[in-house]
Amino acid sequence: MVCLMRKIMCKAKCLSSIGLFTFIACAPFGQAASSPIPHATVELIAENQWIAAGYTVNLGLHFQLEKGWHIYWINPGDSGEPPRVKWQLPTGFTAGAIEWPVPRRLGTSSIVDFGYEDGVTLIVPMHADAHLAAQQPAQFAAQISVLVCREVCIPGKAQVSLTIPVRLQSPKTDSRTEELFATARKSLPRPVPVSWKFGLAEEKGSFLLTASLGHQVNHALFYPLVESQVDNAAPQTLRPTASGFQMTLRKSDQLIKPIERLKGVLVLSADQAFLIDVQVGKSDAGTNGYSVGTYPAKSLAKGEQK
Amino acid sequence: MKRGIPLTMLIGLGLCAFLPAMWAAKVGEAAPDFTAAASNGKTIRLSDYRGKYVVLEWHNNGCPYVGKHYKSGNMQRLQKEWTGRGVAWFTVISSAPGKQGYVTASEENDYLAKMQAAPTAALLDPDGAIGHLYTAKTSPHMIVINPQGVVIYDGAIDDKPTTDLSDIPGATNYVNLALEETMAGKQIETPTTRPYGCSVKYSDAKH
Repeated sequence: MVCLMRKIMCKAKCLSSIGLFTFIACAPFGQAASSPIPHATVELIAENQWIAAGYTVNLGLHFQLEKGWHIYWINPGDSGEPPRVKWQLPTGFTAGAIEWPVPRRLGTSSIVDFGYEDGVTLIVPMHADAHLAAQQPAQFAAQISVLVCREVCIPGKAQVSLTIPVRLQSPKTDSRTEELFATARKSLPRPVPVSWKFGLAEEKGSFLLTASLGHQVNHALFYPLVESQVDNAAPQTLRPTASGFQMTLRKSDQLIKPIERLKGVLVLSADQAFLIDVQVGKSDAGTNGYSVGTYPAKSLAKGEQK
Repeated sequence: MKRGIPLTMLIGLGLCAFLPAMWAAKVGEAAPDFTAAASNGKTIRLSDYRGKYVVLEWHNNGCPYVGKHYKSGNMQRLQKEWTGRGVAWFTVISSAPGKQGYVTASEENDYLAKMQAAPTAALLDPDGAIGHLYTAKTSPHMIVINPQGVVIYDGAIDDKPTTDLSDIPGATNYVNLALEETMAGKQIETPTTRPYGCSVKYSDAKH
């Protein structure tokens, strides 16, 4: 069992000799443990030391993958599937939608997938009812189905759980998980600045995305949120303009009906990723007010998340 | 367009980028012809099946999504049902040598026998030529071609993109739907979907 503490410490100084020490150091906490899935582990973690009525606290599903293996984004691309989470929540709690960090382009020249390698934390906001009466600890559990791939794919299932105290005081950050949540938050796409404008023209076999950001952009990558709109493997041709860029996105072969909007994540640099939602045929603002994390069509029914 | 780049070079680049797309099969367009070696020793030419409905099923015996449909007997049921109704059903294996799912003819024949699979034939496509011709992305990626030789369905086998056998009974099977609708003279309601599954293990797949 790899404990969270060890991972954090290993990041700082990965010495084999600390193994025993961290094992001992981790043992007394013992609130969470990582569960094995093929070529990876998954652990349910919390950002706060405790929960209080009326607050939304963040839980996280931290996946740690063996080198070369990956899991998938909400839109997995040409193959694969995203992790699915089925929550078993204590009374008085509601789970929000998974906040998906910006993925990487994976795959080959002809088949392109979107996913995560190494490690990733999927943040899930958990809302505590204002009338939460309990003083006893809240026990969260989730059943996770996940596809882990290198070149080949192996489906995995894991049951994770976490018990968090319920108190009257406002929740305090847990230093043991602070770094993982900070890293996860940094890798989330952000809403676009209000001054930015995007337009989308539909051509025969492609979409032409025009961005006016107030400055020339030489590099950009678009990750479509909705499957079968954009050809994932086709090169995204970027033409810098004085105020931004124009990007040609080839339509997916599976797209045979006109689309109304194109939603996705626009990556300009390693720490600059934005959620865009552009209406076809309109030169308009980039987003329609849906915030980071609340990806479309991810409604929650009975705490289940797909 | 920026000055300084020779026009011929731009045209050349453009052609390279769009050639595969131009030839790829698309719903509503003519199904590209091909000739393939089948595991039973026969040579199959698609155009010889003009006048029949044809189903192409991309296959990889190591893929858990394929496993879901074979272990449950779902794929075999579909093969028997539709070949029984005059449809030519070709299982296509585009895994490159050394990649997951690559099989020799005799290995495939053993697999077909063991699984009691009943396609019209299993086509061996180790260089991925047929796969690329149809832009096959996954196993099982499904293509349906009508008797006039036009692609009428391109996508997933059903609407449950998972590896769980328990998802099969409640799934809407798109191949069944497309064939039933078209044979009844109706318009196919869902002619394209995202073909779910494992990526096809072409020779360019990294290892």
